[in-house]
Amino acid sequence: MNVRSLAPSAAILLALALSACSVPEPYQAPERPIPVPELPPPVETTPVVPVPEVAEPEPLPAPVVREPTLSAASQALVRQAQIQMASNNYPVAASSIERALRIEPGNPLLWIELGKVRQAEGNYVQAENMARKAVSMAVNAPRTQSSAWALIAESLRARGRNSEAQEAQSRADGFR
Amino acid sequence: MKRSKSTRHYRTQILAGLALVLGLFAIAFVVWMFKLDQRITSQFEGRRWTLPAQVYAEPVELYAGLPFSADALTRELTRLGYQQVDKPERPGSFARRGARIDLINRRFRFWDALQEPQALSIITRGNAITDMRNGRGEEVPIFRLDPLLIGSIFPIHGEDRVVVTPEEVSELLPTALKVVEDRKFDSHFGVDIPAIARAAIVNVRAGQIEQGGSTLTQQLVKSYFLDNRRTFSRKIEEALMAVLLEMRFSKADLMNAYINEIYLGQDGRRAVHGFGLGSQFYFGKPLAELQLHEVALMVALVRGPSYYDPRRHPQRALERRNMVLQLMAQFEVISAEDAEQAAKRDLGVINSTGQASGYYPAFLDLVRRTLRRDYREEDLTEAGLRIFSTLNPLVQTQAELALAEELDRLEKARKQKSESPLEGVVVVTAPQNGEVIAMVGGRKASFDGFNRALDAKRSIGSLVKPVVYLAAVETGMYHAATILDDSPISVKLPNGTLWEPRNISKQTYGPVPMVRALAQSLNLATVNLGLQVGLPRVTREFVALGLEQEPPQLPAILLGAVDVSPLEVAQLYNAFANGGFSTPLRAVRSVVDAEGKPLRSFALEVTPVASPDAVYQVNRMMVEVIERGSGRSARNRIPRDIVVAGKSGTSSDYRDSWFAGFAGNQLAVVWMGHDDNSPTGLTGSSGSLAVWSRLMASTGVYSWSAPLPESLQETWVEFPTGLGAQPGCGEDTLQVAIPRGVQLPMRPGCETNRDAAQPWWQGIIGR
Repeated sequence: MNVRSLAPSAAILLALALSACSVPEPYQAPERPIPVPELPPPVETTPVVPVPEVAEPEPLPAPVVREPTLSAASQALVRQAQIQMASNNYPVAASSIERALRIEPGNPLLWIELGKVRQAEGNYVQAENMARKAVSMAVNAPRTQSSAWALIAESLRARGRNSEAQEAQSRADGFR
Repeated sequence: MKRSKSTRHYRTQILAGLALVLGLFAIAFVVWMFKLDQRITSQFEGRRWTLPAQVYAEPVELYAGLPFSADALTRELTRLGYQQVDKPERPGSFARRGARIDLINRRFRFWDALQEPQALSIITRGNAITDMRNGRGEEVPIFRLDPLLIGSIFPIHGEDRVVVTPEEVSELLPTALKVVEDRKFDSHFGVDIPAIARAAIVNVRAGQIEQGGSTLTQQLVKSYFLDNRRTFSRKIEEALMAVLLEMRFSKADLMNAYINEIYLGQDGRRAVHGFGLGSQFYFGKPLAELQLHEVALMVALVRGPSYYDPRRHPQRALERRNMVLQLMAQFEVISAEDAEQAAKRDLGVINSTGQASGYYPAFLDLVRRTLRRDYREEDLTEAGLRIFSTLNPLVQTQAELALAEELDRLEKARKQKSESPLEGVVVVTAPQNGEVIAMVGGRKASFDGFNRALDAKRSIGSLVKPVVYLAAVETGMYHAATILDDSPISVKLPNGTLWEPRNISKQTYGPVPMVRALAQSLNLATVNLGLQVGLPRVTREFVALGLEQEPPQLPAILLGAVDVSPLEVAQLYNAFANGGFSTPLRAVRSVVDAEGKPLRSFALEVTPVASPDAVYQVNRMMVEVIERGSGRSARNRIPRDIVVAGKSGTSSDYRDSWFAGFAGNQLAVVWMGHDDNSPTGLTGSSGSLAVWSRLMASTGVYSWSAPLPESLQETWVEFPTGLGAQPGCGEDTLQVAIPRGVQLPMRPGCETNRDAAQPWWQGIIGR
């Protein structure tokens, strides 16, 4: 396939798709700023050619809560994984979540889901690590932070590290 | 009387002796036959029942929102061997009407599920899929296409082969083989005595061996034992084995074995055996898709793959091919017109460096080594193991192309020619899950030799700097605006000598902020920093990030005097791209047996190895390498609105040229150098960077983006001085991420706080 001819437009499209899509992150693919017309448009004598302008810098708002959401493809895969989990088929469940992660690697919700599979199959260390990865990605997303910390607490409890678990649990509760 | 008696006695003794000798000979002969039989049978059975492990590329996932145009999807389906038709009715076919594609997928058993054939309608708009529905009109959120088969593994013979079953071979090939090589194949018992006699007469007349009277069965035997000595006893042995084979196996079995076995050419160190691989090697497509003139060429090659090498001796090859066509017409395998038409065609052989060859020895080598850790050799050769790999053929093709073309360009531009050719390596990973998605082991990507990506341990030069800076930032005492001292230094080494490193420009820059020292790859500032932080911290950081062996605690380590393979560099940088989490690089997702039962899966694992906040700060500095430093020329190819981060590396005397870096979904490491370690005259920026940026620009990467950790703040500083600045106030200002609460000394005149906070990347795209 000729990727090269496709690449620039694909990249822009992807950037647009990302900006519009499910995982709002504070810092994501920079978009070309859309010029905001401040005056009524003057009478045109020639066809309008959109002029790329450098936009007014947007004021950076105070930390806005931006909870991630799952794309339709990821939702379908997570649902599938939950069914597979229910029949204790952990490797296949993990495989489904990994498919979703290839589509949305930056979505902390998917890392939490994968961590839950690891927790269920008794791989508590990986459960905690996945949750920590989610924590590092879920900036300004208290609900996601909370479920990641809850998973950390659970994995610590499973290993008998109760005081650390309690600490993690109180962090989880703190985000609620 | 006495005499005659003794004579008779002697006669009896002689007779008895003769009988004994004859008997012994007979026994020896039987034993010999028995041994020959055992050898040939085990050889034949072994090959026949040895189904190689088959390796698949990563499957393409289709979903609404995927940036895939109708054109791209058509190309993808064609590559997978889907037939384009008017109305798809059978699995493996598709139809295209404008922006809409209808397909019926093939039945395919993945490691985690069985995909039954179903009708799928895909609507695209511009460069993306917008809607997917099944035959009942229901929305399909995600769909996995059957993956491309990229190779097979024969661990015992160390060869790659594309094994074909009789059903995959058109009747044309065996018929043509018989006509050209062995017309009595269907009736003889292994040897063709009249043919041998004819050949003998020809040979005696010519005074040398000009004609072989070998049957296909004899050729097969010869191929098994790879012995080209044309001695008389050898010939006898071969003939006997051929007879033995014929007694045991059917003609159809023998023909199939022949088609999968016979030697058809040489690709560097790799011997090309079998028509399946031969078809890939010469024409870049599966055997089943060959046309008449191509089949004829392959049959022509059997007699002398190097003498008739269509790449080196096209005229010879053409004449012999047309002779084969003529024979086929003469014996009514094809019509005279078909033969005539086919004889007019070009040879149609692809370039041997051919990107279309679809043969990925470097990557397959990594797969093989991965599996050898877990499997015994015989496990891999057991019938029908299937291996699901992580290779992305599209990225692989772009990586091969970028490397080959840039190496050619650089070599042409070079004034002095060196003895050994300029070589190169590309390793590409998906940073978040550590999957190796492409790997090129040398300039000739399909050359099956020394795998530089895994085995070339080379000095990495300034690629170490991000590791040194990370060790520093992790102490909590350093950040992007910390002032370092870029001034001459001399270190007394344990052996008494003085080490006096210099900057690549031979100049010194005095006080410089860290972000600039990294972007411009200042050696003196880095050595001063590393010595302040302490060598043990630095060498421990290497191990934490995933280097297997801790490098020696010598000052020269700070400038990259450590020998690391390109794959290990990818492992190190992957931890940066993955935000301080290490994940073991993997080339295999899963292995299943012939029944589809999963034997082993290589699950995704992550381990926190560095503070995510510290890694974020270093990554932001690596973005400035591209924006203002040694990686600037990447912007000639990569659009300004895609944020990428990376670092160049040059070893002493310009022996190695490196570039390692990442975008949001892809990390790539490029190395260039000579195998004999002679200087290349290239820096990381003047060599490998061009390949890196071409690859990134051609594979549709998206921006590196990570949320600003809550412990950090964005601050404007001057790039040259590191003084606090304001947008529009100060020289060459940029935003850096530094720990909250840090107060920077301000550039005089810029103290007043203007409210102009904006996302940092707008500083990149707005310039």
